[in-house]
Amino acid sequence: MKRVYSFGSIVCLLILLLSGNAFADSILCASTTSTENSGLFGHILPIFEKDTGIEVKLVARGTGAALEMGRRGDADVVFVHAKEQELEAVADGFFVDRHDVMYNDFVIIGSPDDPASIKGLTSAVDAFKKIADYQTVFVSRGDQSGTHTKELAIWKRTAIDPAGQKWYLEVGQGMEKTQRIGNEKRAYVLTDRGTWLATKDQLEMEILMEGDPVLFNQYGIMAVNPEKHSHVKYEQAMTFIKWMISDTGQTAIDGFRDKLGNSLFIPNAK
Amino acid sequence: MSIVLKLENLTKAYGGKPVLTHCSFSFDKKGIYVLRGSNGAGKSTLLRICALLEMPDKGKISFYSANDRLARNIDLQRQISLVLPKVGVFNRSVAANVAYPLKIRHIAQREVSRRVEQILELVGLSHKKNQQALTLSSGETQRMGMARALVIEPEILFLDEPTASIDDENTLIIENLLKTLKQNGRATIIMTTHDPGQANRVGDYLLWLKNGQLMTDFRKCEEVNMYG
Amino acid sequence: MAFILESFHSALILIVRLDAELLNIMLLSLKVSGSALISATIVGLPMAALLALTSMPLKGFFLNLMNTCMGLPPVVVGLFIYLMLSRSGPLGFMGLLYTSTAMITAQFVLALPIIVALCHSAIVSVDPVIRQAALTLGATRSQASLTVIAEARYGIISAIIAGFGRLMAEVGAILIVGGNIAGYTRVMTTTIALEADKGNFELALALGIILLGMALLINSLLLIFQRRAIVRK
Repeated sequence: MKRVYSFGSIVCLLILLLSGNAFADSILCASTTSTENSGLFGHILPIFEKDTGIEVKLVARGTGAALEMGRRGDADVVFVHAKEQELEAVADGFFVDRHDVMYNDFVIIGSPDDPASIKGLTSAVDAFKKIADYQTVFVSRGDQSGTHTKELAIWKRTAIDPAGQKWYLEVGQGMEKTQRIGNEKRAYVLTDRGTWLATKDQLEMEILMEGDPVLFNQYGIMAVNPEKHSHVKYEQAMTFIKWMISDTGQTAIDGFRDKLGNSLFIPNAK
Repeated sequence: MSIVLKLENLTKAYGGKPVLTHCSFSFDKKGIYVLRGSNGAGKSTLLRICALLEMPDKGKISFYSANDRLARNIDLQRQISLVLPKVGVFNRSVAANVAYPLKIRHIAQREVSRRVEQILELVGLSHKKNQQALTLSSGETQRMGMARALVIEPEILFLDEPTASIDDENTLIIENLLKTLKQNGRATIIMTTHDPGQANRVGDYLLWLKNGQLMTDFRKCEEVNMYG
Repeated sequence: MAFILESFHSALILIVRLDAELLNIMLLSLKVSGSALISATIVGLPMAALLALTSMPLKGFFLNLMNTCMGLPPVVVGLFIYLMLSRSGPLGFMGLLYTSTAMITAQFVLALPIIVALCHSAIVSVDPVIRQAALTLGATRSQASLTVIAEARYGIISAIIAGFGRLMAEVGAILIVGGNIAGYTRVMTTTIALEADKGNFELALALGIILLGMALLINSLLLIFQRRAIVRK
């Protein structure tokens, strides 16, 4: 009898908890930690929710994990910054309706004494080559994130394989932690400008290289293909996507400032 | 209602070593049976088998009530009590310890309180009613063990060395308690003791356990009866 | 060291202000860990009692398993539950991923071995004379077993406190299966991880102090309850 009671109470408990999670209209958006930590979503999502009545629940992961969430059908919409991978996943049929939304750019930061003397260079590829030549420490995200993907693409163009080198540290952590490790190690780090602006006051680092078109960081949004995963809320996801690339959405993105008053993202939906 | 305990051909061995061999006896009188015998003679084993804590290898224990054999073990177990040399003290108050046998018999709370008060008075522990039972002295613990066994007003009470490890003062209290019980004439008490003086002071019937057999020492009994 | 004082100061301000968001996060932490703990106790205590009081086949193996699982890395549990609950996993149809139910499930898995192993050792360490005393006083076998479990109550409450400590401090599993969604699955530890990520160390530490305070409060309540239990019985 006692076991029957225990089982009963667990079932009741579960029902109680499940009921607490029922909400009318909401979608799950997989995005990246750097985007969430910038505070962008805190600014635009309330506007979107007010406009449409659809709630967006945000799960922040590395780009790789966010894309995988979409592929597995664990999200309705994916908002990341790794254009080549995104297009590949669309081509593979996992996602539909991909659109450019906005961009920011990457910068190379490091200790102000700049041991590899990359300051003044105009090409990121040259800067990476110099860092490798001088064997100065470089801290990599190493987590399949958008930033990591961008970094690997640049290494590829230098024809140097940094993997396994003594001066190349793959930390497998988010952008802020990677920056902080770079700070401690007096190392070079490739970072997105938004994260850099948000945290630079805590770091003894500065921007040593910027402005190369190769460092351009495009954000894209796409819906999980409802033909792959029939349960996804495709309609609501499309409402979100259309809103993001609409004038209202683009203006909202343009109006976002971080807590230090910096503008972090430039809308560029077509 | 009075219960008679009858042993027929009890045989028990531990690891090939026989302890009881074809042991038969009938406890058919009220009063105190004192069971004696050398160390390792099997006194405790016999008590544990009688109290249904252990099964004999062979033979039969039967309890008769007005010539009807009582069949269900649990009904029986609820009319007999056994006090072991080491009292298993529950980590609760003295009163809760003593109330335990009544609680498991689903007796009404008011009746429980009444009987607990009464029995604690009898063993002289009324003033320690709300004390944590684990903090009692060994003599008090033994008395609480007696109270806990007596609270159900058992038909048969088994006592295994009730005064083995306690001081003279507490021994005296327990012996007086046994004499009171004897005068009430309600229960059959079967006890073991290592103290010949005690056997003479409280016993009505003296039994010897020797070579696995139970024997009545008639000479002693008469003596006891004469002086008792 | 000034930053520690600063953090205490911020923690105090946060508590005094007690804004709705923080309150929600605290309550969710309690709800998730509390539900997981209660379910783990409801399931684990009878299991521990069965293991301790009956002889069953594979008992040794089972105990060994439970003891080993006490050290299960939360991220591994999180990943496993994630794969089970994912839309592409066997239980995906239930749509539980990124809900508090998923977090409770993961924490249940983490708490169960602790409850079973520690309750088992509490019950077996009860002196055998207790069971014997209960039987000699006329208890049925199941009444005697209940008496033994009641005697083990200190150890059982300690087991529950240990389980609660592990759950309240846990971040790896709930981050993976809960997703740290603001307002839905964001609890104290994941908030701390997030704020530390953002570089808001002071706020993170302040939240840590509040978390510690909550744990302290709950444990005190359990201990008072434990003490009451002795006096009343």
